[in-house]
Amino acid sequence: NQPDLPPFARSWSQLYAIVLGSLAVEIVLFYVLMRWLS
Amino acid sequence: MSAFDWGVLAVTLTGIIAYGIWRSRGSRNMDDYLLAGQSLPWYHVGLSVMATQASAITFLSAPGQGFTDGMRFVQFYFGLPLAMVVLSVTFVPIFHKLRVFTAYEYLETRFDDRVRTLTAGLFLLQRGLSTGLSIYAPAIILSTILGWNIYWTNLLMGGIVLAYTVTGGTKAISYTHIQQMAVVTLAMGLAGFLTVAMLPDGVGFIDALHVAGKAGRMNVIDLNFDAESRYNIWSGLIGGFFLQLSYFGTDQSQVGRYLTGASIGQSRLGLLMNGLLKVPMQFLILLVGVLVFVFYQFNPGPIFHNKLETDKLKNSPYAQQYQLAEIRHQNIAAQRQRAVLDMQAALKTDNEAGQTEAATLLRDTDAALKTVRADVVKLIEKNNPAADTNDVNYIFLRFVLDYLPHGLIGLLIAVIFSASMGSIASAYNSLASTTIIDVYKRLIRPEGSDRHFLRASQWATVGWGVFCIVVAQFANRLGSMIEAVNILGSLFYGVILGVFVVAFYLKTIGGRATFWAAIIGEVFVILSWYLQLTAFLWLNLIGCLLVVGLAWGLQRLWGEERT
Repeated sequence: NQPDLPPFARSWSQLYAIVLGSLAVEIVLFYVLMRWLS
Repeated sequence: MSAFDWGVLAVTLTGIIAYGIWRSRGSRNMDDYLLAGQSLPWYHVGLSVMATQASAITFLSAPGQGFTDGMRFVQFYFGLPLAMVVLSVTFVPIFHKLRVFTAYEYLETRFDDRVRTLTAGLFLLQRGLSTGLSIYAPAIILSTILGWNIYWTNLLMGGIVLAYTVTGGTKAISYTHIQQMAVVTLAMGLAGFLTVAMLPDGVGFIDALHVAGKAGRMNVIDLNFDAESRYNIWSGLIGGFFLQLSYFGTDQSQVGRYLTGASIGQSRLGLLMNGLLKVPMQFLILLVGVLVFVFYQFNPGPIFHNKLETDKLKNSPYAQQYQLAEIRHQNIAAQRQRAVLDMQAALKTDNEAGQTEAATLLRDTDAALKTVRADVVKLIEKNNPAADTNDVNYIFLRFVLDYLPHGLIGLLIAVIFSASMGSIASAYNSLASTTIIDVYKRLIRPEGSDRHFLRASQWATVGWGVFCIVVAQFANRLGSMIEAVNILGSLFYGVILGVFVVAFYLKTIGGRATFWAAIIGEVFVILSWYLQLTAFLWLNLIGCLLVVGLAWGLQRLWGEERT
């Protein structure tokens, strides 16, 4: 399954970190958006 | 619905079904029929997983929730990416390496046939009943708003799915999922775009967000830990994680989707795609509801969105009181419109005092409108004690029918059908595969040709389709649909997840201890729901912890060897 990795990730752990990092970034962005609009 | 809308609806649905049947011709063995020959690429797996989870209620209820309650429901999905990572690390490699058809097959390898049969039985009971409810939920809304006969709508909703699931199996389901997601994305995008386009001149998308923010609808994140509040960041990350892990990890309607991946890597990538896209997708669906809310700040909207109930009021002894409420509603709505325009002007000129004043007026008029609405709801209850006074599910569809152009109305009705078909197809398929693999082939007829089991799977699909449609026909006695589906899931998911947690992580515990732990745990969960000891969402966690704790205790007590 190694060839299944997308070109931007060197290992599965890195890909998991990208998914969880995206969630963290979304939560921060949502929070900033909420503060800006309230 | 105009003739043009009917045309769009018919062409969209026929196209999806025909494409699914055409792409899946040649499914000639069990591996093809139940697992699509384990040949599908990651984007197929990802879209199939997403289309299975997004049911019709997702597209009816979520915009309504955004409208009434704002954006905070999005937090419910924060645990999903975490669950996708845990599944990719743990569940996917085990299921793939054992080449199982169903998740429950693994339990016999790990424990014994009793645990496998019990878990498969709990799944069949829960999924069979909840699929009946998920046929009924969109059918009742469509039948109320469009005046269709509920029994025929149920039959249509549950029946057209059989057209391609019986003949084409998993491959047909996966190909139709791609079409369904395309239709859903296109139509919801158009609906959001047109809602903004219909706002008054000079009010753009950013202005609309500001209005929503001042009206308290952009409440995306709640950092407070409050056991009473259903949606905050902690309940989403912790409670949502357990719920999504048990749904994706132990429910065959989802396990059957990612087992179709061509390799462990392709299945993982499909799940991770879901983990990346799900939160933004739900955010955008809720945002459509918030934009509809902003639209109604500038335009007259209904007091109560289920027109059937207000029409009944107009022809009742309470007609005069309702008329007075309508006049009050119009007057307050006009005040609110002025407040919104003042807010706009204050925002453009950076006038902070003006903004504060307008925001106060906006919230006051919002509260006054809620009071009028509560009065109307009381009238509806007086007039018909059995009336459904929850109109959240009607908000978006009512807006679509009142304001969006013909053609798009037909397309959005097709979205409701498509989303519904996507979930129901996966459910029928998983019910059939579990029935044949875990019950029929295991207990009734172990020997038989591949062709025999393929035929049996097709008949099992028909049988479960009929069962679910019959459940839908009786569902109108159950009250709130979404709660009913979630309660039903919570009664069984926790225990099933507990069995899998023991299987994966507590290698010293054997089959006998796990079997009895699951039985005692299930009885306790049903009792605590019946005696109303706790809110139903917590039953997922309680069931899981009970099975793990009891299995560990019984294993120590009996000291048996691992089976």
